[in-house]
Amino acid sequence: MALSGLFEGYDPGGFFDEAVTSEGAPRDHYEALVRRLEGLTPHHLAERERVRDAAFRSAGITFTVYGEGEGIERTFPMDLVPRIIPAGEWEHLEEGLIQRVTALNRFLDDLYVGDKAVIKDGIVPQWLISSSDGFQRAAHGISVPHGARCLVAGIDLVRDAEGTYRVLEDNLRNPSGVSYVLENRAAMTRVLPRVFDDHLVRPVDHYGPSLLNALRRVSPAGADPEPTVVVLTPGVFNSAYFEHAFLARQMGVELVEGRDLVVDDHVVSMRTTHGLKRVDVIYRRIDDSFLDPVVFRSDSILGVPGVMSAARAGNVTIANAVGNGVADDKAVYAYVPDIIRYYLGAEPILPNVPTYLLWDADQRRHVLDRMDELVVKPVAESGGYGMLIGPSATDAEIAAMCRRVEADPRGYIAQEVVALSRHPTLVDDHLEGRHIDLRPFVLCGDRVEVIPGGLTRVALRKGSLVVNSSQGGGSKDTWVLASPEARTSRGRP
Amino acid sequence: MMPVTRYDVVYRTSIHYDDIVRASQNELRACPASDDHQQVVAYRTTTHPASRVLTYQDYFGTRVDTFGVREPHVLLEISAEASVETFPRALVTVSPRVAELRSPSFRDRYAEYLGRTGHTAWDDDMAEAARRVAAISGDDVVGIVLALHRFAHTSLRYTPGATYIGVDVNEVLAKAQGVCQDYAHLAVALCRSIDIPARYVSGYFFAASESTGEEVDGDVVSVQTHAWFEAAIPGWGWLALDPTNALQVGPRHITIGHGRDYDDVPPIRGVYSGGGRPNTQAGVEIRRQTAVAQQLQAQQ
Repeated sequence: MALSGLFEGYDPGGFFDEAVTSEGAPRDHYEALVRRLEGLTPHHLAERERVRDAAFRSAGITFTVYGEGEGIERTFPMDLVPRIIPAGEWEHLEEGLIQRVTALNRFLDDLYVGDKAVIKDGIVPQWLISSSDGFQRAAHGISVPHGARCLVAGIDLVRDAEGTYRVLEDNLRNPSGVSYVLENRAAMTRVLPRVFDDHLVRPVDHYGPSLLNALRRVSPAGADPEPTVVVLTPGVFNSAYFEHAFLARQMGVELVEGRDLVVDDHVVSMRTTHGLKRVDVIYRRIDDSFLDPVVFRSDSILGVPGVMSAARAGNVTIANAVGNGVADDKAVYAYVPDIIRYYLGAEPILPNVPTYLLWDADQRRHVLDRMDELVVKPVAESGGYGMLIGPSATDAEIAAMCRRVEADPRGYIAQEVVALSRHPTLVDDHLEGRHIDLRPFVLCGDRVEVIPGGLTRVALRKGSLVVNSSQGGGSKDTWVLASPEARTSRGRP
Repeated sequence: MMPVTRYDVVYRTSIHYDDIVRASQNELRACPASDDHQQVVAYRTTTHPASRVLTYQDYFGTRVDTFGVREPHVLLEISAEASVETFPRALVTVSPRVAELRSPSFRDRYAEYLGRTGHTAWDDDMAEAARRVAAISGDDVVGIVLALHRFAHTSLRYTPGATYIGVDVNEVLAKAQGVCQDYAHLAVALCRSIDIPARYVSGYFFAASESTGEEVDGDVVSVQTHAWFEAAIPGWGWLALDPTNALQVGPRHITIGHGRDYDDVPPIRGVYSGGGRPNTQAGVEIRRQTAVAQQLQAQQ
């Protein structure tokens, strides 16, 4: 059946389209959604958008964009058309994510509290670790209960032209964005309630309790059975402060800044109106280098002097663990498939994107010749900062990147451009395909849990492959459908 | 029979503040290492005001004593007392060629000690100087290391107070003056600039003065902490040299620990709140226990 209404003239454009086949028919799991959307008029849609905008304004959702002047805030736009992932596809993703994060935790434990067997056995070279900015020697010897060093991981997935899901990058330090997952869902059920009710969508609103549970599971041995958890934020000027406050509220725990915590005899306490209260687990949303001025940057006023010694003494757990940056270093990323094979003795379920390591003279020459076809990224950045997209870069930008690569080959990687899958997205009064990715959130306490779906980011500019919110992207509510068995056993929710 | 020397070392730091300090948090790296060249017999730390000291071994294997003081104070006194026995070091008996420095397995094994760090970020001029010095020694790695060591020694005039921690190593060479940390950083940077792995060593030195290395008349000296460097020799291991004194490191040197540069092994590091400006006085007293040494030797 041809597409009509809002879908009039919709063209997959030779890309893998999430909702529509190359023949222009809705995929099975999008059938109901497509038919609903076809029935909406532009007038109807404008009204739905007003409902959405009001929902977000009242929730106060903003996202500070660096590089656009200080403190500019704007709403993080949620597209009205949700992304749908069928149960079987999600099962595959979930399995792959659990495998990857399990291996990354093992890797980090090996480096910081183990024998560095991964280096001794020649899987990863010592120099790669030594030269990683994210490798924190000050974290040596600090263990985390259950080895849950990545308590929260955000793994960025993309889908290529064949529809294969690939890992684009790992975010193991302070992955942000989960608040949008929850807020998008809350808004979506108000904006398109009937469409939502047509589907058996797996819930995401247990994220707060799940996060709190994971944090409690990593409290130090011998801590109170009802451990005290806090969220440590750098403060209101941080771009993700909204999320820090949001998560503290979701968990029902205190949101604190460094100055609210004191360390006495290697025990961390927070100042309260009733005096000091012992803290067992710190969910910190503050970078390693600012965490403790005794061992890191001595000029940091955001951190807590002595918190590292308290962690070392086993009196507090810092989550995510200090030094995770070595594992999401984009050059180390290239080794993750081998890391998975090494620790788990299994083939990676989710493949990487083809990646070139630029310290290798042959690979570098090959890359420098094809800069206009590749993506080049700095190894220690996240959020799309400092990245070059060859096909859309100017000659001057390419020349500048060549110089940076030649000066610091360890500092960059190159990747093949992935023709990211596209998804119908509302543009003015009709739908067009826009490129998307997916950041699922993985929680590790005493077990590994993936929140169904994650943050689907969409490049709102036509043709753009950059989905980062900091680079002008938007988001979509992401629906993971419950399996048919779940439908029969649980019935309608 | 291996000659053994016993030293009793007392490290003391007192920090006077010109206003009341509400809290301070510190890390002390003052305990001698136990390794092939020395053995710690006893060690203890004391702080005033008193504190609960947590001890751990850091990434580089150095013992760290970390403690916080949370009562108001204007004076913080820290002392570390150690008894340590030192043994002579073997002379290098290999003569590897320069090509061996390029072996991937050698480079990877010493990867920590090949790169630039805050205090060892050499520039092109320094690398050029290192190449010139090395050229005279031809193809012999040990010869090159000894030549760079000598070059570091002769390039600087020992000048207390001429530099500060954090000074750029290239600037040190340009101004041609410094103290033991500067000599050590300069030697490390020179070695690394021509691909010889090198590391910074913090320790104590039993000598009448830090800068002349003269033998001591009596058995007691009052000095400061000292610093030197080690270079990795293919097929051998670390060769320890003291560029401040143009000496091979021997039984009068007592190692605390090593790192990529000073920042990995500072004797004391900390932060405090309140208190205005600190005035720090540090000193080391080393007592050679001749009688003990003789007894130890008699037993062997």
